[in-house]
Amino acid sequence: MLTEAQMMSILNGTLLTVKITIFAMIAGVLLGMIIALGRISKNKILNAISWFYVWVFRGTPLLLQLFVVYYALPLLTLDLFGSPIKLPGLTAAYLAFTINTAAYLAEVFRAGIQSIDKGQLEAGKALGMSYNQTMFKIIIPQSIRRLIPPMGNELIMLIKDTSLVASIAMFDLLRSVNQMANATGKTHYFLYAAGIYLFFTTIIQYAFGKIEKKYAAYE
Amino acid sequence: MIKLEHVYKSFGKLEVLKDINLEVKQGEVVCVIGPSGSGKSTMLRCLNHLERITSGKVYIENEIADERLNDKDVLKISQEKVQQLCTELGMVFQRFNLFPHLTVLENVMIAPKIVRKQNQEEIKSIALDLLDMVGLADKKDEYPSRLSGGQQQRVAIARALAMRPKIMLFDEPTSALDPELVGEVLEVMKKLAHEGMTMIVVTHEMGFAKEVGTRVIFMDEGRIIEEGNPKDIFDNPKEDRTKSFLKKIL
Repeated sequence: MLTEAQMMSILNGTLLTVKITIFAMIAGVLLGMIIALGRISKNKILNAISWFYVWVFRGTPLLLQLFVVYYALPLLTLDLFGSPIKLPGLTAAYLAFTINTAAYLAEVFRAGIQSIDKGQLEAGKALGMSYNQTMFKIIIPQSIRRLIPPMGNELIMLIKDTSLVASIAMFDLLRSVNQMANATGKTHYFLYAAGIYLFFTTIIQYAFGKIEKKYAAYE
Repeated sequence: MIKLEHVYKSFGKLEVLKDINLEVKQGEVVCVIGPSGSGKSTMLRCLNHLERITSGKVYIENEIADERLNDKDVLKISQEKVQQLCTELGMVFQRFNLFPHLTVLENVMIAPKIVRKQNQEEIKSIALDLLDMVGLADKKDEYPSRLSGGQQQRVAIARALAMRPKIMLFDEPTSALDPELVGEVLEVMKKLAHEGMTMIVVTHEMGFAKEVGTRVIFMDEGRIIEEGNPKDIFDNPKEDRTKSFLKKIL
């Protein structure tokens, strides 16, 4: 069984894992949507910026991004501005996970939006709607149903990837049980972590299944 | 109401419209016939900027809607102006293009709601009247996927009419329908024509063109080959290409 201290440690670790996941998911969806709209925009500059964003943040390891935000940013800003900008661990984690999640979600959103029949955009235009009106009232609402499965995937990846914050001196769920295992020489602590991860991924899977059904109503 | 002057349209190297000149006056029902790939649909789509012309001029309601030369704007027309002109034209597509995530009633209401920002109650009563006109008032709360092709196309007509357009464009409105569903759509179109709506109809329904059309235009290989009243075109075509086309399909 667990001691009270161990229980607290697991609880705090779980809380951190959940906090980062929720923050990165919400901020990642918003940022990802903006980047996706940039990717399909006819504006060449927006197009290039969002292409570059996806290229960089999808093409480099998440761990590297975490290191850059946490360790390299203070050194870089010290060189550039003479005073270091040092982000607290949690802020650095929020930032790194958000930019990384947004890069993946941007591609998910772009594919979802582009999978909607071109006739829908034409119908909107023929009715006198602007591009933005058609996008937000016609195209995006239809793409949501198709976005749900890959978004669920992304969220499940995210919750597991949060264990990387251990590398910037934070105690998430996995690190806290790892420490217990090291301290006691017993490995069964990992089962607690596995159980908790599975608990959350099951909730996500169930919730996304429900949402998918709800959006399927019109098909 | 509508005028095309020396309109050319190319897709890359393929020239699909060659020197099209056409004027449509109020109350006319112009039926455009011709073989596949003759540029009929493209001509229609150039009117509401679904395609941009390569060269030429387009007028809608005596206002210039597009003027281009070699794929470049001669006259810059603002996006707002284009949108406003689009609302003068209602378009019905071959594949209906209803919004599948909205109910029938919402499909008819959405454009007046977000483009015109009219009062909700007023829009709703107009939409219900239109659905009644196309005979689908009882389907107002269904999603399009639950309707037959013919019913979907009638909703699409109501949706286009909800913006109170002055001219209706029909792009092969019955070509995607099962044969037994064609009649109900043509009935609605006939009703519209009798109410005096100005219409341009790209169609393979020769019966409709003969009966309802005030003018028939025969197109082939991107050109208007022959035009005239339906009787002359169908019973007494002058051009060889018109003759051979009519022989094939009648």
